[in-house]
Parts: sequence; structure tokens; C-alpha cells
Amino acid sequence: MKILHCPLNGPRNISEFVCGGEVVEMPEAGAATDGEWADYVFGHENARGAVREWWFHVPTAYWFIAERDTGTDEILRTYPASEVFGRRPP
Amino acid sequence: MAEPGAYARRSFVYRELAACGARFRGAGGAAVAVDFGDPEGERRSLARLGLCDLSPLPRIGFRGPAALDWLRAKRVRGLDRDNRADIQRSGALAVRLAPTEALVLGNPAGRGNLCDRLEAALDENPEPGCYKAMRRDGSFHFLLAGAHAADAMATLCGVDLRPLAFPAGSVAQTSVARISTIVIAVALGEVPAFHLLGDSASASYAWSVLVDAMTEFDGVPVGLDAVRHAIGANAGRSAG
Repeated sequence: MKILHCPLNGPRNISEFVCGGEVVEMPEAGAATDGEWADYVFGHENARGAVREWWFHVPTAYWFIAERDTGTDEILRTYPASEVFGRRPP
Repeated sequence: MAEPGAYARRSFVYRELAACGARFRGAGGAAVAVDFGDPEGERRSLARLGLCDLSPLPRIGFRGPAALDWLRAKRVRGLDRDNRADIQRSGALAVRLAPTEALVLGNPAGRGNLCDRLEAALDENPEPGCYKAMRRDGSFHFLLAGAHAADAMATLCGVDLRPLAFPAGSVAQTSVARISTIVIAVALGEVPAFHLLGDSASASYAWSVLVDAMTEFDGVPVGLDAVRHAIGANAGRSAG
């Protein structure tokens, strides 16, 4: 059984989680070109090595960020999204 | 004894309960299964392993960035740590699920009315950043109690729920029989128990798999009277 450490719930079976893809910065909606926006929505770096990814704990509907080595599939670190994004704008 | 169809509020699993021989009584405008025809036997079974449906009883959730502060202002105790349940003076249970979410379960013994009081207070004076979650409509609520409760849960859930690893007051939001479930450990005096809450749409499925999981340990469905007896018989100790 592969275990992932959820920042809210602690260590849990990987089957309780869903990967939400790479963490990438959203372009400014009003200023981005169609190409930039399409790349944001559909493009993936798919890099080998340490990457930041969105992960979702299904029973609590909780999104957080995991740093994972895509070469070894080792989870390096998990933390709340608020560490990166702070508070939601009003 | 009451006919559940005569009540506007009844359990999500009242048909399954009736099929097992449940006898219903009205409580707070809802039809509650008080026993299955053998009250004495159910009280004894509860110490070993019993499953009780608490779905018709009061419970409510609160969400939003101001939810916890609002509850503290209403003198709800605890709420200090995520995934932690704290017993209130009335016997109700306050559960912090996240920094922006809490859950309040009424006392199964029927004493106090904390859920109704909190709901009325928020309706009367809405608080920005604090919103109700209608857990009584959206979530089933079962109580699995007895010395073998953790053994039965081990067949359905990957989290270690044995008393030493998961003592009373612990909360796990996890997958039970593949449905998202909130598991809350409490103690009915000497009897360990788990409150189980999940999506009401899965109530029939959850009831059936829990009944099935209990058979290995001679567990049986029990009525609310057996739970109330356990709480009452152990009043003054750490009744959950």
C-alpha cells in the first residue's frame, strides 16, 4: 500500500487521493493571448525530477500541494496550498 | 409504537430497520428505531458489538472562515485541533473537521438542544463567513459500539481504529467500504464506539455493509434505547 501524507488528515492510503496535475501560475486572464491561455489549460511540462503537483483528498474535499520526484515516484513533501497562494482575494 | 410513514422526518434506512423488526417511536418530530423487539438482549449485545441508526437525531455543520470563532462565541468548547471531537456540557459533541469547518452532534440521550440553539442563533443573527451545512439531511449517522467495533471496522477501513491508536475524541475523515466517511471515536462509559457519518445517498449501502461486517463478531442492529441505556448507565463517567 502506498501512503501519502495529507497535511490535514495525516498518512492515508493513496487510494483516498486524486492527482490534480502540475502547479502552474495562472496567466492574467485579461492580458493573456489565446496561445498562452491554451498552454495554461492544456499544456503540461511533464518534467522528470522534483515537481509540484495539486493533490486532492477525496473524503474531505481538501486540495493541497505535494512535491514529487517523477523519476522515482517518491513524495518529497506535502503542504497546504495556503503556503503558496495565501488568502483568496476578496 | 409509531409508524415511520406518519412522520415528516425519518431515517434514510427506515425500510431496512423495519425489515429487521425495528419498533419506532416519535422523538423531536422524527421516527426513531428504539428497539428491535428485544431491549434486554440489545443492551447486552451493545457491549460486544451493535449498530444503531442515529440519522433522525439532531446534528448540524458550520462552514466558512468565521465558523470556528462564531461557535466559540456561542460557548462551544474545544475546536482547538483539526480532526478532534470535544464533548460539551449537554453531552453533545463538537467536532473540528478543518480550520473552516465544524460539526455538532446532538446528545443521543436526548438531553440538551445545542444543535437547534446554534441553528436558531445563526438564522436570527447571520454571521458573515459562517454558513450552515445541513448535515441532518445530507449525512447518515450511525453508531457502531462495542468491544469488537474496531475489529469490525478493520474489515472496511484502512485507518488503524484500535483504541490505543485512535482513542476517544479522535476523528478520521477517510474511506469506509469505499465511501467517504467521518469516523469519530467516543466512549459510552466502558464501551468504545464510533460515530459514522457519510453521504445520505449511500446510507442503505453503508448500513448493509456494516451489518455484514458485524456478523463475524456476532454483532446485531440495536435500537436507540440500548445506546441511551449505555450512556445513562455510565453517566458520570466519560459518556460520549
